[in-house]
Amino acid sequence: MSEQEAILKVKDLKTHFDVTKGLFAPKQIVKAVDGVSFEIKPNETFGLVGESGCGKSTLGRTIVKLYDPVSGSIEFNGKDISKLKGEELKTFRKEMQMIFQDPYASLNPRMTVGEIIKEPMIIHNIYKTDAEREARVVELLEIVGLKPDHIRRYPSEFSGGQRQRIGIARALAVNPKFIVCDEAISALDVSIQAQVINLLKNIQRKMGLSYLFIAHDLSMVKHISDTIGVMYLGHMMECGPSNDVYHRPLHPYTVALLSAIPIPDPDISKAKSRIVLEGEIPSPINPPKGCPFSTRCSKATERCRNEMPQPVQVGNRQVSCFLYEK
Amino acid sequence: MALLEVKNLCTEFKTDQGRVQAVRGVSFELNQGEVLGIVGESGSGKSQTMYSIIGLLAENGIVSDGQVTFDGMDISRSSFKTKKEYEEKMRTLRGNTMAMIFQDPMTFLNPVLTIETQLTEPLINHTKMSKAQAKERALELMRLVGIPSPEKRITQYPFEFSGGMRQRIVIAIALACNPKLIIADEPTTALDVTIQAQVLELIDTLRKERDSSIIMITHDLGVVAKLCDRIAIMYGGKIVEIGTDREIFYEGKHPYTAGLLSCVANPEDDGEKDLSPIPGSPPDLLNPPKGCPFVDRCDKAMRICKERMPEVTVFSPTHQCACWLNHSKAVKK
Repeated sequence: MSEQEAILKVKDLKTHFDVTKGLFAPKQIVKAVDGVSFEIKPNETFGLVGESGCGKSTLGRTIVKLYDPVSGSIEFNGKDISKLKGEELKTFRKEMQMIFQDPYASLNPRMTVGEIIKEPMIIHNIYKTDAEREARVVELLEIVGLKPDHIRRYPSEFSGGQRQRIGIARALAVNPKFIVCDEAISALDVSIQAQVINLLKNIQRKMGLSYLFIAHDLSMVKHISDTIGVMYLGHMMECGPSNDVYHRPLHPYTVALLSAIPIPDPDISKAKSRIVLEGEIPSPINPPKGCPFSTRCSKATERCRNEMPQPVQVGNRQVSCFLYEK
Repeated sequence: MALLEVKNLCTEFKTDQGRVQAVRGVSFELNQGEVLGIVGESGSGKSQTMYSIIGLLAENGIVSDGQVTFDGMDISRSSFKTKKEYEEKMRTLRGNTMAMIFQDPMTFLNPVLTIETQLTEPLINHTKMSKAQAKERALELMRLVGIPSPEKRITQYPFEFSGGMRQRIVIAIALACNPKLIIADEPTTALDVTIQAQVLELIDTLRKERDSSIIMITHDLGVVAKLCDRIAIMYGGKIVEIGTDREIFYEGKHPYTAGLLSCVANPEDDGEKDLSPIPGSPPDLLNPPKGCPFVDRCDKAMRICKERMPEVTVFSPTHQCACWLNHSKAVKK
């Protein structure tokens, strides 16, 4: 790993939601993200994995400032953005864009492809004339593998994979440095997923982008990411270079999660014995007192149940588990 | 004799734009105790093939041709005089000797009925069990699928269960009458990986213990590799290749099979190998191509592929593939 300055530094970030129901009900708080720290370097892809409800999407949305964090800091290009407001926030949004999961819901059906891709340019006042914008749209369409004459068509005329390409073109419209891909390929078929993944990788190489790639498909995340963070119930359990995490997982949760991936190879898959985790993810309203994973962990001790482990550095990795405490 | 035999099944849907030919001549057999995986992308006709077999097609769908034999009985729509007769026959089979597990347990289960009502319903309808006997059996089934404290859980409603637990209930309902055939349509797609592992493990133990025959519809090649004895690859409403798990994964003959395998990431692989995606998108079944449905996306396509449907080549008693490349006159590269 190079000693390059990180483009994004997240420190002890917390995003909580108030879910109290009724006037007299006791206050209930969902700690969706509860003290997460990590860094992303320029031109790097950070893969964020975890099961549903672990807070990975909330983390992504907090970073692009769709949610306000309760505490902690988000440093982007050396500047804390967690408290930005108004005009400053708008300028920052040009730097960071997002690609959403559902290509059917994230494109306005009443706007043409051209209008959709032009909109961010108009908001951020990037080009002076409409002709300039139009030229840029055509360029972007070519980059994402669509045809220039698609500019006058509506989203309904496109397939899922093509729509996701439109979403990517829209994100690229303002020349961002950083893109959050929230389950950007989950709604697509396998043969189309690979097309979109390769497109994202090519764009990264050409434009020098950094990605935060959020997904629950562990094999695809491994494929695209340089660094991987594993989340569980609002906490970052393990974080490190993707090959190391996949081949030598340290945290018991990472071990179990990886062994649950079905391998597309019958000889390996049928011979492989899996660690089948008992039980389900606890509710984030009432998380376990100690380590969030202690209720399902086979190695849990009394201490795990009562005390939250702090992240420790093991080689080039960060692990939140007492097993690795010196 | 095979438990299920499907011959040249064709299904069409009437739409405003015309007839969508969702299933175009599908044939396969399923033996006792066997798990057959049906793999394909969305729109390849894998689910509609199954719905045609068990008679659960949408209102605008018709089975236009083909024969289905289940357990020695002809259950093709064409072998019944009226729709009513067909429906009545199918109603005695569904949930009884053939059962289904659906993708989304929340839409399969009735939200306003307790688990007890939903679990005992097939038992009371199909067997001559009394209510008390049916409840006893329901508790036994819940234990079988691994639901803790069934006595308490049986009085609850579906919303009180988590996703994985709901899918266990759906499996328990499917198993209620000891079906000979279970059709599972994407049973784990809606679940998280660790929960998916639990459910797959459960299906695997159940089939070993009970020698059930299962048809597993999925797009996840990992799930297929784990569970299935034989695999059918569907594309454009047709089975393009069928064979044992090893024949498909290691000796696949169809370019689409090869394409599918090369565009999934294998976490066991190391290094920076780029995925090789299949260019383009699946054919429009409103106007299906005259020749091979895969021709527009195939990098090995020849002139004949556009003009004529490929013949089926038999490689072994279990392995068949429909592709012109296997023809003796094709140029081998």
